[in-house]
Amino acid sequence: MKVIFTYWKFFVICSLMVLFSCSKEVKIDIPGYKKQLVVDGFIETGSPAFVLLSKTNNIYAGTNIQNYIDGFVSGATVIVSDGNVTDTLLEICTNNLPDGTEETVAEFLGLPVEQILASPICFYVSDEIIGEVGKTYSLTIKDEGQIYTSETSILAPKELDSLYWKEEPSLPGYGFSWAKLTDSPVLGNAYKWEVKYASTLTFSKPFGPFTDDRFYNGLTFEFAYENPMSFSNPNINNEVRGYFALGDTIVVKFSTLGQKEYKFFDKKYNQIYSAGNPFSTPVNLPSNITGGALGVWVGFSPTFDTLICQP
Amino acid sequence: MKNLALLISINLFWIFSFSQKASISGYVTDASNGEALIGCKVYLPSIKNGVLTNNYGFYSVSLPIGKYTIEYKFSSYVSVMKEINLTKDTSLNVEISSQINTLNEFEINAKKGENVNSAKLGQVELQMEQIKTLPAFMGEIDVLKTIQLLPGVSSVSEGGQGFYVRGGGPDQNLVLVDEAVVYNAAHLFGFFSVFNADAVKGVTLTKGGMPANFGGRMSSVLEVNMNEGNNKNFKVKGGIGAISSRLTIEGPLKKDKGSFILSGRRTYIDLLMKAAIPDTSPFAGSGYYFYDLNLKFNYKITEKDRIYLSGYYGKDVFTFGNTEDNFNVDMPWGNGIAALRWNHLFNPKLFMNVSATFTDYVFQFASNQDQFRFSLNSGIRDVGAKIDFSFYPNTKNKLRWGADYIFHTFTPTSISAESDSVVFDTGLAQKLFSHESAAYITDEYDLSENWKFNVGLRYSSYQHVGPFTRYIKGDVGVSDSTINYAKNEIIKSYGGFEPRFSFRWLLPNKSSIKGGYSFNYQYVHLTSLSAVSLPTDIWFPTTDKAKPQSGWQTSLGYFKNFDNDKWETSIEAYYKGMNNLIEYKEGALPGDNINDNTDNLLVFGRGWSYGVELFVKRSFGKFTGWIGYTWSKTERVFEDLNEGNPFPAKFDRRHDLSIVATYKLSERWTFGSSFIYATGNTLTLPTSWYVQEQNLLFNYGARNSTRMAPYHRLDLSATWYDKPTKTKIDPITGLKMDIKKRFRHNWAFSVYNVYNRANPFFLFVDNDGDFLNGDFKLSVKQVTLFPIIPSVTWNFEF
Repeated sequence: MKVIFTYWKFFVICSLMVLFSCSKEVKIDIPGYKKQLVVDGFIETGSPAFVLLSKTNNIYAGTNIQNYIDGFVSGATVIVSDGNVTDTLLEICTNNLPDGTEETVAEFLGLPVEQILASPICFYVSDEIIGEVGKTYSLTIKDEGQIYTSETSILAPKELDSLYWKEEPSLPGYGFSWAKLTDSPVLGNAYKWEVKYASTLTFSKPFGPFTDDRFYNGLTFEFAYENPMSFSNPNINNEVRGYFALGDTIVVKFSTLGQKEYKFFDKKYNQIYSAGNPFSTPVNLPSNITGGALGVWVGFSPTFDTLICQP
Repeated sequence: MKNLALLISINLFWIFSFSQKASISGYVTDASNGEALIGCKVYLPSIKNGVLTNNYGFYSVSLPIGKYTIEYKFSSYVSVMKEINLTKDTSLNVEISSQINTLNEFEINAKKGENVNSAKLGQVELQMEQIKTLPAFMGEIDVLKTIQLLPGVSSVSEGGQGFYVRGGGPDQNLVLVDEAVVYNAAHLFGFFSVFNADAVKGVTLTKGGMPANFGGRMSSVLEVNMNEGNNKNFKVKGGIGAISSRLTIEGPLKKDKGSFILSGRRTYIDLLMKAAIPDTSPFAGSGYYFYDLNLKFNYKITEKDRIYLSGYYGKDVFTFGNTEDNFNVDMPWGNGIAALRWNHLFNPKLFMNVSATFTDYVFQFASNQDQFRFSLNSGIRDVGAKIDFSFYPNTKNKLRWGADYIFHTFTPTSISAESDSVVFDTGLAQKLFSHESAAYITDEYDLSENWKFNVGLRYSSYQHVGPFTRYIKGDVGVSDSTINYAKNEIIKSYGGFEPRFSFRWLLPNKSSIKGGYSFNYQYVHLTSLSAVSLPTDIWFPTTDKAKPQSGWQTSLGYFKNFDNDKWETSIEAYYKGMNNLIEYKEGALPGDNINDNTDNLLVFGRGWSYGVELFVKRSFGKFTGWIGYTWSKTERVFEDLNEGNPFPAKFDRRHDLSIVATYKLSERWTFGSSFIYATGNTLTLPTSWYVQEQNLLFNYGARNSTRMAPYHRLDLSATWYDKPTKTKIDPITGLKMDIKKRFRHNWAFSVYNVYNRANPFFLFVDNDGDFLNGDFKLSVKQVTLFPIIPSVTWNFEF
C-alpha cells in the first residue's frame, strides 16, 4: 500500500541524487559464490500444488536467455503431503504440455511459446492433492543427493468489504481501484493483491502487492492500488499509465498467506525496490525451505471480486 | 552521595597536605583579543619542568620558595620570560602576542618536545591557523576533514558521516563542543562538519590512553573548543564561498572582563537549485540547505570566578516535491547544544569547573502523497552536569577528580501514518530514558625526570528506567504481549570500574617510549541499516536487552625528535578489543520496529582491531606538515551474522597514508597540499542471481567480503593575503610610515581531487535490458561522487 512505501520512495530519490554523480562499470572480485537450489512453489485453494526448481547463477555468469533456461532443474523428486495423502508430483516439461496450455505456461514463465517449446523447462504439479482451506502441506525435494523440506498452510480467506473505482479529479475517465478492508483483531495477518482484466488469463501484481497488518491491525480502512497491466502495454499513453479506464472490467484476487511466508515476499519486494540503493542494507530473503535452498513454499487462500470501472 | 563524600575527602586531603610550598598560578591569554590560550607551555628552565594551561587558559605550579624564571611559550606567539621571587602564593596572569606576521619563519607548534616529553599517549592537537592553510572542499574549512588526515583516523568515504579511530565505530568517538556532547557532527550526509572554522579555537583528539576524566565512549575523544570572543575590541570576520557564506561578530561585553562571539553560516545550494528548476517544473520547491549558529559569552565575575555560556544550533533541511505524483518529502535534522560553565579558583592550587550541558539531536522525515501521510522522528536529548577539580600540589603531580551525570532521552524511531481520517497503528512512540553517571580520579605524576605516569580510575554506572514498554514476541514472530514499566522504575542497572594508565620513559637523544592501557564502558550505540552512514542511523541506548559496549585498548610507541625538535616522529602499535557491539539482524528493515522494540531487531557481537601508526611531522619553518601511515586490521564476529564467522568491519583498511604539507612562500602567499591513499572499503555484494515469479533476485555473499578499489586523492590550495600595512605620509614630518590595516582580506583558492580520480563511493549490481530481447545484462557499477572541483573563497576581517 502506498503509505508504507513512501519511506522507501525517499531512499530511491536519494539514490537517484547520488546517481547524478558519475557511475561506471567495474570488474571487481566478489568472492563466495556457491550454486544453490531455488524453490518457487505454491498451493492455492482449489488448485494443485505447483513447484518450479532452478539453480542460482554466478553474478558474472552470462545473462542470455539460454543461461536462464539452463538454470531450471529437472529430474528432481518432489513430494507434497497434507498429512493424509502423500503425492509425488508429476514432472511436466514444456515440450510435452497438454494441448492448449502452452500459452498459459509461457505467460506464467514470462517466455515466448516458441522458446519454451524449443528449450524445455520442467516443473512439478500435484496429481492427487488439491489445496483446501485449513490444511497444512509439507514439501520434500530430493535433488542431486540433497533433501530439502518445507511446510505451509492455506489459511482462512479474507473477503474485502467492498471494491470500487474512483475517478481522479485531474484525469477524467481514469482512476485507481479502491477497496475497503476490515482487518481481524489478531495481529499477524498478511495479504496479497493481484489483478487482471476479466478477458485475460494471468494475474498481475501492482507496486507493493504484499502487506501485513502491522500498521492497521483490527482497523477498517480504505486503500488504493494502481493498474499494473498498463505499464507493459505500449498502446497506453504515459499520462494514464497506472490507472484503470472508465469501463474496464477487472478481477481482483485478494489472498491471505502465513506470516513466515509473508516475510519472504516482504523482503523480496524490498530488495527489488531498493536494488542498487546505497542507503539500503543487503538483504538475503528468508527462505522457509530447510537444507540450504533459496525460495519459498507458500499456501495462498484467495477470494475473487469482479469490478466494472464506473462511478 | 558516596561520590560526593569521596570528592570532599579528596579535596580536604590535598588542600591540607601540601600547604607549605608557594604557588604561581594564573591565566595565559592572547594579548590582541584576550582569548584564553589552551595548552600554552609554562616552563621553568631551572627545574627543567613545566605545565600546560588547561582548557580555560589556567595554569598552576607549586614550588619551593625561591627565585625562578618562567617562560611562556605558545604556538606562533612570541615567548614571554618572567622573573619571579616566589615567597608566597602568587597570581600571575600573562598576555602573549602573536608573531605570525612579523617573522619570516613561523612555528606552528611551539610545544616543542612535547611529542617526546608528554605522558599523554595518542593525543594530537591542531590549531586553527594550521587547519586554515590546508586545502578545503568547496572552500569550507573543516576540522573533521583535517582530523581524518591523522594516522589511525579515517572516514568511511567522501560522503560518510563521522570518523573512525583505530577500528572503532563512529559512535565510539566522544565529540565535545565546550564539554557538551555532539551526536551528529556532520552536515550534508558528512560532506561538511558542524564546526564553523571561524568559531573554533582548536581541536584535540585523543585516540588512545583516554584520561579518566573522559568516558562514555570507547575509541577517542575529540574536544572542540570554541573561541571566546575578543574582549578588547569589536571585530567582524567572514567569508563568501562557492556554496556558503559565514559571518562572525565578536567583541567585549566589558573590556578585559567579558566578551561574546556570534558566528553564523548558511549554504545556498537551495537558491542555486531554485534558479535551476523553473516554477513550472514538477520538482519546483525541491532543495537542500544547512545553517548553523554559534554563540558564546564569557565573563570574569571576580578574579576567582568566570562563567561561560556556549550555544550551537544547526539544521540541515532537505525538501523534495513532485507535483505530478502529488508527492513531497520534508527532511530536517540537526543539533541544538548549550553549555553553561563556571570556573572557580579555591586557591592557587585548586581549580574547579562546573558545567551544565544540554544536547538535542533530532531527525525528522515527513511525506505526503495524495491522502496518505507518513512521518518518522528519531533523536536524543541529553541533560547533563559535570564537576571537575584540578589540583596542582607540586610540579610532579597534577590531580584531577570529579563526577558527571547525564539524563538521556532517546527516541530511536517514532512512526506515524494516516490515510484521510484513519490513523494507522504504528505502536507506541518508543522513548527510552536512562541515567548515566561517573566519578573519576586521575594523576599525572613525574616519578623522575625520565619517568612520567598518568594513572586514573573511573567508575561509571547506568540505569535504564521507565516509562517503557517491552514487546514480547509470539510464535509467529510478531509481538503479542507487553510488559509495562512505570516512570522512573529501574529496569536494568549496569556499572563498573574503568582503569586508565599510561607512562612515558624518556630516553637519551630526545626520544621516549610511551605505553598505555585503558578500559571503557559505553552506554550508547549507533546502528545503521545502510551501506553508507546517514543521519537516519539510529542512536540507541543500553537497555535490559542491549548491554553496554565495553572495550580495552593497549598501545606502545616510540617517539623521537630530530633537528632541535623541528622534526617529530613516532611509531605506535595498538590492540583494541570490543564487546557487546550491535548490528541489525540479517534482513532487518526500518519498518520492522513497528509495534516492537528496536533492540528486538538487534544482534550482539564483539570486535577487535590492531595496527601500527607511523607519524613524521615538521612543525617549524616555512615548510610544515606531516606524513601519517597506518597499517591496521579490524574485524567483527556476531553469532547471528555471517554464519557466526568473523568478517571485516566496513571501514577496515589495511593501508592508510596521508601526506600534508604547507609552504609559506611569503607574507602574501601560503600554499597547502594533502594527499590521501587508503585501501578500499569493504561492502557486501550479491554473489549470485536467480529468478522467482519472473523477478530477478540476488543472493548476497559473506558480509563485507568485497573490497572496493583504493581511494586516493590530491588536493591543493593557495592563499593570497593582502598587505598587512598601508603607507601614509605623516602630515607633520612628511615621512612615509607603515600603518597596520584595519580591514584585512585574503583569497583562498582550492582544488579538490586535482587529478580527477574516480574514487568509489559505493558499488551496486545494475541490470539492464530484457531477457526476451537478448540484451539483458548484469554489471557491477561504481558510483563516484566528486570529480576535480576548484573553489575560491574570499575571507575578510575588520
